[in-house]
Amino acid sequence: MGRARGVRAVAVGAALFGMVGWVAPGRADVTTERSASILVFPKLMFDSTGLLSDGTSVDTVIQISNTSNSMVFAHCFYLNATPVDASRPVGPSNPAQWQEVDFEIVLTKQQPTHWVLSSGRLDDPTDNRSCKDDCSTAGFDPGRIPPAGSDPFIGELRCIEVDSSGAPISGNHLKGEATLVWGDAQASKYNAIGILGLTDSNNGDSVLCLGGGGGDNCPTGAEYNACPNVLTLNHFAELASDPVVEALDHGDSSNVTTELTLVPCTQDFENQVAPPVVVQFLITNEFEAQFSTSTTVTCWGNFRLNTIGNVGRILEVGTLGSRFAQTRMVPATPEDGGVLGVAEEFHEVREDGSVATGRAALNLFGDGARPLGDVITLPGAF
Amino acid sequence: MMRARARQGSAAVAWRAVVCGVLVVGAMRASADVASDRSAAIVVFPKVVVDISSSPPQIAPPARTDTLIRISNVSDQAISLRCFWTDATPRCVGGVGSCVSDPVSCAPPGVCVPQWQETDFVVHLTAGQPVAWLASRGAVPCAESPRGVPCFPAIPGNLPPNRVLPVPEDPFVGELRCIAVDRNDVPVERNALQGQAEIVRSSDAPLSLDVAAYNAIGIPAYLGANDKDNTLVMGGVCVGGTRAQLPCTSPADCPGGRCPAEYGGCPNLLVLDHFFDGAVDPVSKKTVTTDLTLIPCTTDYLTQAPVTTPVQFLVFNEFEQRFSTSRSVTCFSELKISNIDTRTSERSLFSAAVAGTLTGQTRIRGVADGHPDHGHTLLGLAEEFRQDGGSAAFNLHFHGSRPQSDFIYLP
Repeated sequence: MGRARGVRAVAVGAALFGMVGWVAPGRADVTTERSASILVFPKLMFDSTGLLSDGTSVDTVIQISNTSNSMVFAHCFYLNATPVDASRPVGPSNPAQWQEVDFEIVLTKQQPTHWVLSSGRLDDPTDNRSCKDDCSTAGFDPGRIPPAGSDPFIGELRCIEVDSSGAPISGNHLKGEATLVWGDAQASKYNAIGILGLTDSNNGDSVLCLGGGGGDNCPTGAEYNACPNVLTLNHFAELASDPVVEALDHGDSSNVTTELTLVPCTQDFENQVAPPVVVQFLITNEFEAQFSTSTTVTCWGNFRLNTIGNVGRILEVGTLGSRFAQTRMVPATPEDGGVLGVAEEFHEVREDGSVATGRAALNLFGDGARPLGDVITLPGAF
Repeated sequence: MMRARARQGSAAVAWRAVVCGVLVVGAMRASADVASDRSAAIVVFPKVVVDISSSPPQIAPPARTDTLIRISNVSDQAISLRCFWTDATPRCVGGVGSCVSDPVSCAPPGVCVPQWQETDFVVHLTAGQPVAWLASRGAVPCAESPRGVPCFPAIPGNLPPNRVLPVPEDPFVGELRCIAVDRNDVPVERNALQGQAEIVRSSDAPLSLDVAAYNAIGIPAYLGANDKDNTLVMGGVCVGGTRAQLPCTSPADCPGGRCPAEYGGCPNLLVLDHFFDGAVDPVSKKTVTTDLTLIPCTTDYLTQAPVTTPVQFLVFNEFEQRFSTSRSVTCFSELKISNIDTRTSERSLFSAAVAGTLTGQTRIRGVADGHPDHGHTLLGLAEEFRQDGGSAAFNLHFHGSRPQSDFIYLP
């Protein structure tokens, strides 16, 4: 019965979505390739000992650029989703920390900047060394950027364009990239997800309204574009063999696994509240056969695909019956907030006891606009 | 919680409602943006690399290399694609040597001549179907395919079996473009395609594997704008009428005039955030270089006449210091960024030693000439390499649009 209600809710939501789509002022222009007012880096990792990543250390280089000819300010939030005991998986007895730490950056006209998650960046005008030595601190420092709050650290970074007084603005001047650099010098790089600001409706308060038609918290309606209604991931079935390795006849065996990172669009940095989002997955294999499963994302979720809907390992090649699949993800009901995400593939080849791993990150595809909108609540004034 | 398909009738209805909602609203709001994170009617893979037979491998970094192409139909109806390989592999004509490994090795009187040769094929996809193939091998129905090689398990009824041509030579450097068509090969306004490419480099001794993946660039169709001919018009402004010279996406936008645009316009500028070449990655302590691939948005598959576009590069370092350079691009260009302005990388303004900071922002602009038959916008891709390490591909950022249209001329 509950399931039937859920299905009806999805159907009604879809119909509602179709209608609201005509009038909702927030558009579905979350983007990974245009300058925006909010940047979301869904997946950051720092792990000097490889505790969370099979013994391979990892750190993240973050790049942000100002694409305008004016000075730009941004208010950034790290969200630390590392479990309290990092050596054990997240669970009721080992919750994620969901701790936010925020800081501000300033970029001059067209200025690119970067920092490393593990060390942050000092605001030191005297550290401009030549690139013949180490120029990793050369350039105008964007401000004091704190290092990751723990080792290991897993979580998210969100940067919001503000004016010189700290009030959010819809400048659409920021772009960003994150590079996960592993201990073997393999790298996975993805573009930050950008949420475009709407120029006429941003009231500059600490409640940022992403899409939707307004409400008590959003008296001026949508201030930013809406999060997508559907995310699509095209992927290998879990543990499928790598066709390139097979065609080249390299190694004894190979397999591909995919890690999916999802973060809710709605975040409350003021009250540190993380409402859970139930995400439905619709999987289509190469034979057009469909499967579905679901999971709950609270604050930050990072899953190997074969741990989603873990009964029967639905996304494994043995269950799906084909090497490639398309997975569409949608919040279970319109009331659930939207999600954003990124995927990372791990290709492994084995030969005579040795293992080589190739890694690559991919941005997800987004379609549609969430009808009810999402809200990011910033810490208020003291 | 897993649920078998047999118990999913109502869920399937709900899902279809969601998907239809997306498609309907998507139709109402045909976005004007070329994008690599949205479904589209044209998907462009700017960089396809194959080097599996030559010994030693000729394409840097030296490894046996192949590209896996993945395309998905995200609609609930079957769709066909007309796909074009563009072979941009340079050949040493009149001399001895390889232009692939290094143009200098093609000694005079030899000269490196890019081929700019297209070959095309048609693929049919069922509703929601994901497919994949190796650029080196193409793909055939699974019943005819060697074990382990990607193949086509299912195709829509009453259609000939899919047969993807492999790239025409090995080594190969070039691009792939696929266009949504109907069963008669006529272009259709269906933004139902998503694509990814994975460039996989593998070596035996020592055992190594490197994967660089990127999303194909999608060019969306404007609904109600396609005249079904073999000239695909991307972007443009109203011709005549009360809104002359203003951007348009459908005939209704141009009262009294004509809207030429059938597809989204290509971006006015490309923006690349990059490490300067030779910079030391602060995490791995390895030297980083970046390859930039640029292709013109306009492509003439009919007359095989490539367009040459002067390209301006505006570079900013982390001190807000500005540099610029330029270079022409014809059909396809893949260059280490520190070879854009010079063959001596250490002297390039894209080198860390010259720029003086670790990272930079480069704005890339094709120079327009106002010619009515072609535009000069560009599409591109970047791939970052760490010395003795792995690579990572990533999409460029887009900025703005142009009044001039770009065109794809189909045979």
